[in-house]
Amino acid sequence: MNPALIALAAALAVAIPALATAWAQSRIGPAIAASMAEKPELSTIAVLMIAIPETMVILGFVVAVVILVRT
Amino acid sequence: MILAMSKVRILGPRDRLDDVLRALQDLNLVHLSAPDTPPPLATVSLSAAQERERRHLRAALLDVEQALDALAATTGSPAAGPAIPGTVDFARWARLAGRVRRETERLRTRAAELEDERALILKYQHFFSAFRALLESEARWPNATAYHVLVKSGDAGTIPQLRASLSAVIGEEFQLYSQPLPSGEIAVLVVVSAQAAGRVERLLAEARVQEIPVPQAYGGHSLTQAIPQMLARLGEIPREIEDGRKRRADLARAHAAELRRARLALHDRLRALEALPLSGVTPRAFIIEGWVPARARRDLESGLQRACGDDVVVSELKKEEWESEQAPVVLANPRLLRPFETLIRIMPLPRYGSIDPTPFVAVFFPAFFGLMVGDVGYGLVLAVIGLLLHARSRPGTTLRNVAEIIGPCALFSILAGFLFGELFGDLGRRWLGLRPLAFDRADAIVPFLLLAVAIGAVHVLLGLVLGMVSARRHPRQAMGRGISALMIVLVVLALLAAVGVLPRQFFSPAVIGLLVAFPVLIVLEGLVAPIELLATLGNILSYARIMALGVASVMLAVVANKMVGAIGSVAVGILFALLFHLVNFVIAVFSPTIHALRLHYVEFFGKFYSPGGVRYQPFGHWTRAPAPARAAPRTTRHAA
Repeated sequence: MNPALIALAAALAVAIPALATAWAQSRIGPAIAASMAEKPELSTIAVLMIAIPETMVILGFVVAVVILVRT
Repeated sequence: MILAMSKVRILGPRDRLDDVLRALQDLNLVHLSAPDTPPPLATVSLSAAQERERRHLRAALLDVEQALDALAATTGSPAAGPAIPGTVDFARWARLAGRVRRETERLRTRAAELEDERALILKYQHFFSAFRALLESEARWPNATAYHVLVKSGDAGTIPQLRASLSAVIGEEFQLYSQPLPSGEIAVLVVVSAQAAGRVERLLAEARVQEIPVPQAYGGHSLTQAIPQMLARLGEIPREIEDGRKRRADLARAHAAELRRARLALHDRLRALEALPLSGVTPRAFIIEGWVPARARRDLESGLQRACGDDVVVSELKKEEWESEQAPVVLANPRLLRPFETLIRIMPLPRYGSIDPTPFVAVFFPAFFGLMVGDVGYGLVLAVIGLLLHARSRPGTTLRNVAEIIGPCALFSILAGFLFGELFGDLGRRWLGLRPLAFDRADAIVPFLLLAVAIGAVHVLLGLVLGMVSARRHPRQAMGRGISALMIVLVVLALLAAVGVLPRQFFSPAVIGLLVAFPVLIVLEGLVAPIELLATLGNILSYARIMALGVASVMLAVVANKMVGAIGSVAVGILFALLFHLVNFVIAVFSPTIHALRLHYVEFFGKFYSPGGVRYQPFGHWTRAPAPARAAPRTTRHAA
């Protein structure tokens, strides 16, 4: 297979989940900030909430690695 | 582990209720709970006088807290005094607190006014300095009026416009001078003939130019007359501010210790009043119920007997008489594991009778963190930071706990660093010949991924097994979790056999096992079970983040090292490399912490953790920063 296409596929495997993660975090961030304004003790939970959508980009990274390694 | 609790019932003559509550407050052992009050038992209600007292005490306490805040004296030793304060003491404290609060408020308001006044004078002073000679000659302009105008730093273009507008309105009967100020603004002085003053004022108003009027407080109608008074005042203000500070320090010296004692006594008295309705009474007897750590029950019995004699009886309720969900929770772990309780307390406490995950977190959290950081150099830097924090923190504080969590994390980072052969990225390899004991993370991405997922499988399976144990009183649920764990093992076996890691002979038995277990799982857990099984598999894959963050960390470190050669100057290259390593270190500490926590809270705890435990809060004397619930707490009397 064309190496350029393989590289593109790997890049998309990371880029698309990264965009999805960014979108999710952009929605979570303001909600968490508003919650923290009322309950500052939520700060630790807030950081964890922000980290939750990162699973998407991490799994995307794994898929990209598999694409690059397997081909 | 979660400490075993005993539910106790304290009985005694009604006229000894106050003595017993005082003794219980001194002992600081019993987490009170309202008893059932079937007739003839009745709940104690506060009398109208007691309600009034409570309101007054709360108001006085608010005054005390505000006064101590204003005096910056919330910490420190309280004044000595009798152990049991009387009504006269409370009244005296209420008056003192009110007086100190009002005085500190007055001082604060005065200090703010003085600061505002100083800022205003400084503004005029700059203006005066800019046009000193002209303003001093203002007095000699018998038929002239001066206007003082400030133009913002970016609006310099408005000055020519102003000049043109003035020419158009009053011809040549004016002089306009401009001078930049240290603040960046531009001071403009417009001198016009007295006849044209009205037209100029209208022009300035229409142009919305910021005119600086001469403050009336300093007498005079001209800036020249006001400025000497303002400058004299400028010399007085710091002294007045200093006087205010001294007055506040005097107040703190005179009353802070007494106010701290008042704070303790007021809190204690309020607690005692609020504990009263948690008692049940008959015309002749009282009953108090509550929980104590089982190993502290003897201390309670002997303490009460010492304080109240044989009139008061403590009996332990049988476990069948109380529901475990209502019992308060005390986490009691060995010294080495105790700092990790901080990570558990971020979440709602586990229910009494469920599993305390602290020991598991104490092992897996540093391990995950270490695998993600995986660098001897970063581990050593982290260890130094941990030691510094340890030296600068007091025992029992959150900071000390964080320092003690950093220790194992640094140790695991160093160990993982040796496994992967990393010291500040590839620097150890290039300079010291450090070789990986296991594999190089930068190259062996797939083995690292498999290791991460394998660790995930072990962790999630452990969670399922713990879930099975915690659901032991509900056999159906426990069996469902057991079958889920078994199916996860079978799926892993089948996959490993399919890709050739295990012998092919494993494949068929594993698949047959899955086909048998599947309907059993649906029968036990319902139709939602297959979805949960898939979610569990997703949980295991989520541990791939250990690999992802680890690889990102090592790549950044390698890039940092390449800076030295990539930039022309070696010195600049080293500087950039250090900066890059610093950034990577911060990321390498922050991100693995968050993700290791997430793996525990979401993937691991989700399999067994039962939140909703009630924090053990024994009825005792007030302390400024209540310590987290500890096993068998001991009494501390603060007031002498």
